[in-house]
Amino acid sequence: MSIVILRIAAALYAVAAGAYIVFFSRPRHRAAATAGFWVLASAFLVHAVAIGVGCSEYGGAEFFGLRGGLVLLVWLLTGAYLFLQRYYKLPTIGAFVTPLALVVLLPTLFGTPGHPGVAPETVRYPSVTLHILSAVGGVALFAIAFGVAIMYLLQEREVKGKRFGALFSRLPSLDALDQMIQRLVRAGFVVYTVALVAGTITATAVWNSAWSWDPQQVVSLGIWILYGAMVQLRHSGWHGRRYALMTLVGFVILLSSMVSLKIVPGVTRHAGDYGARVSEISQ
Amino acid sequence: MSGREIYLVGLSHKSAPIEVRERVALTGDLLKAALCALKGSDGVAEAVVVSTCNRVEVYVHADGIEPARGFFTSRTAEADGHLYAKIGVEAIRHLFRVAASLDSMVVGEQQILGQVKEAYGLASAAQSAGPYMSRLCNRAFATAKRVRSETDIGRGATSMSQVAVELVEKIFGDLKGRTILLVGAGKMGALSAKALAVLGADRILVTNRSPERGMALAQQVGGSFRAWDELQRLLVEADVVIVSTGAPTYVVTREMVHQAMKARRSRSMCLIDLAVPRNVDPACADLGEVFAYDVDDMEKVVQATQEARRGEALRAEAIVEAEVMAFARERDARAALPVLAQLRRHAEQIARAEAERTLSHLGPKLDEKGKKSVEAMAQAIVNKLLHGPTARLKAAASTGDGDLPGAAAELFGIENEPARPESAPADPVEGRAAASSERS
Repeated sequence: MSIVILRIAAALYAVAAGAYIVFFSRPRHRAAATAGFWVLASAFLVHAVAIGVGCSEYGGAEFFGLRGGLVLLVWLLTGAYLFLQRYYKLPTIGAFVTPLALVVLLPTLFGTPGHPGVAPETVRYPSVTLHILSAVGGVALFAIAFGVAIMYLLQEREVKGKRFGALFSRLPSLDALDQMIQRLVRAGFVVYTVALVAGTITATAVWNSAWSWDPQQVVSLGIWILYGAMVQLRHSGWHGRRYALMTLVGFVILLSSMVSLKIVPGVTRHAGDYGARVSEISQ
Repeated sequence: MSGREIYLVGLSHKSAPIEVRERVALTGDLLKAALCALKGSDGVAEAVVVSTCNRVEVYVHADGIEPARGFFTSRTAEADGHLYAKIGVEAIRHLFRVAASLDSMVVGEQQILGQVKEAYGLASAAQSAGPYMSRLCNRAFATAKRVRSETDIGRGATSMSQVAVELVEKIFGDLKGRTILLVGAGKMGALSAKALAVLGADRILVTNRSPERGMALAQQVGGSFRAWDELQRLLVEADVVIVSTGAPTYVVTREMVHQAMKARRSRSMCLIDLAVPRNVDPACADLGEVFAYDVDDMEKVVQATQEARRGEALRAEAIVEAEVMAFARERDARAALPVLAQLRRHAEQIARAEAERTLSHLGPKLDEKGKKSVEAMAQAIVNKLLHGPTARLKAAASTGDGDLPGAAAELFGIENEPARPESAPADPVEGRAAASSERS
């Protein structure tokens, strides 16, 4: 059931992406941007319903795996973008963010998720929910920062290279993009910090140890340090092209390490066999 | 039939040199007086005069073109060779193109629409513009609006200083809390600094080798003067640096900018070199967060804009053409309506008179039913006879063939007068006004 609702949401994402791309190629049609916003907002709501139904179907175990993570990532990414749009009014970014959301959502739409099983009793802590939501939320903010960084680099290349093409008249100023990257990275870092704290609390409770050299823990800490360094470097004057490049590289590292951790079976206790390991330990 | 038409006589930057244009250009009260004089002259129903620094054009709704021509020839004899004159649809098209900025020196510039609006407002106030000009001008404004919203004709920068503004805007957004530095007292530099004022820079600094000229320029652009040997330190402070000195070498070298960027902790800097020969080392552009442009770069932007506008102008022309045709059709429909009404009135009058005569002959021999039949027959003959002409006149009106109503009036021996208010229900007020003005 939830997969059907999710497919409806995906269709709405596609429509919103189309509207934003139309607006990007024909900036005079402001109506397209407005339509894009509202379609995206409805996609967000339908997506929320899909997640809710999914939770009642599978008891939340879905979100321990990669698939659930992607579903959640797109949802939070969209939510964050809609929220930003209310304040910054930069609909051109929609043409970069909505296709990204759609692409990330695509692999989750084919085939049924099977029955991921009910989340084991032992991990049903409120801190687990907080851990998952804030971890994916932080990644969503980093993802938007990644999109904006691409915009920055494209725009910078045109402005600096004196080629004033299509992007030149459509994107916001370099300064505005630069500031947005900084704010997104900072906000993402704060949310990601919450995820690490919640994760540590959970690990202490479930595994009886806050740190157990689990690859996922190592990678997460590495990413936390990476983005923390970016927040810090900003204060010592880094910005512009270098900062955008760093945001780009940071997110590529994040995404590839996260995905590879989830794909290689059994490499981390965060993976699909999470429940089994917990039961082994408790035995 | 009255031959009242829309006439245009004018001269513009395309037809006349500035010496002639300035001799016929009028503003304010003088223009008002001229409008009253035009309106007072023989056979002129309505008049609007568009007078800007690039064009002076007289539009009249009149019996002939002479009063409009007289407006120019009475002012200067030289005007004669530079005038263009247009009649009817040609004149309407011209006005629409002017308002849509298709006839401007810089195609797509924004000011002309406001100027035409002002011209119409002035004519309205002077009561030289009536219902015809109201319809015409409002249609022209609507057309200009359509062109502006449906094409990109107004997009892009068309002058060096506009390019500077656009570039700075792309880099910084606005200039709140930022500093502009003017190096050298060149005229282009001052112009650009003034144009950049729209972005709201916090500070403008001026430096020049000769303090006298520098201070004068500082005063002119609302900035403060700094000594020439402070240049290196000023580069640290300034976000936008506009360089236009007469120096034959680089005044701002790569090394200077490199040092400044270190001190600025790489805050972005925009270098605009307006001097020829160049005053800013082009190698500065290799430095991170430094955006450097010279005259050639900016000229390329201007050219790109012009090229883009040429393409957009084609689309704009199509819009204008459609609007001109629509307006002309409506106008002809208006012209055909009175003829139709008159024709019908004329025919019905005859039918009624003939029916009455027949009835009075037959008198008592006919019962009520018979009388009705005779009247119905007369009406039916009128309807059948007029059916073809009515349809054809209406068709002619909608295809824009303006000659047929006149021909019909001629053929049936009726005068092509404006209809009485009750027969022009579409717009009774305008109908009445038109009727009264055309009889005057």
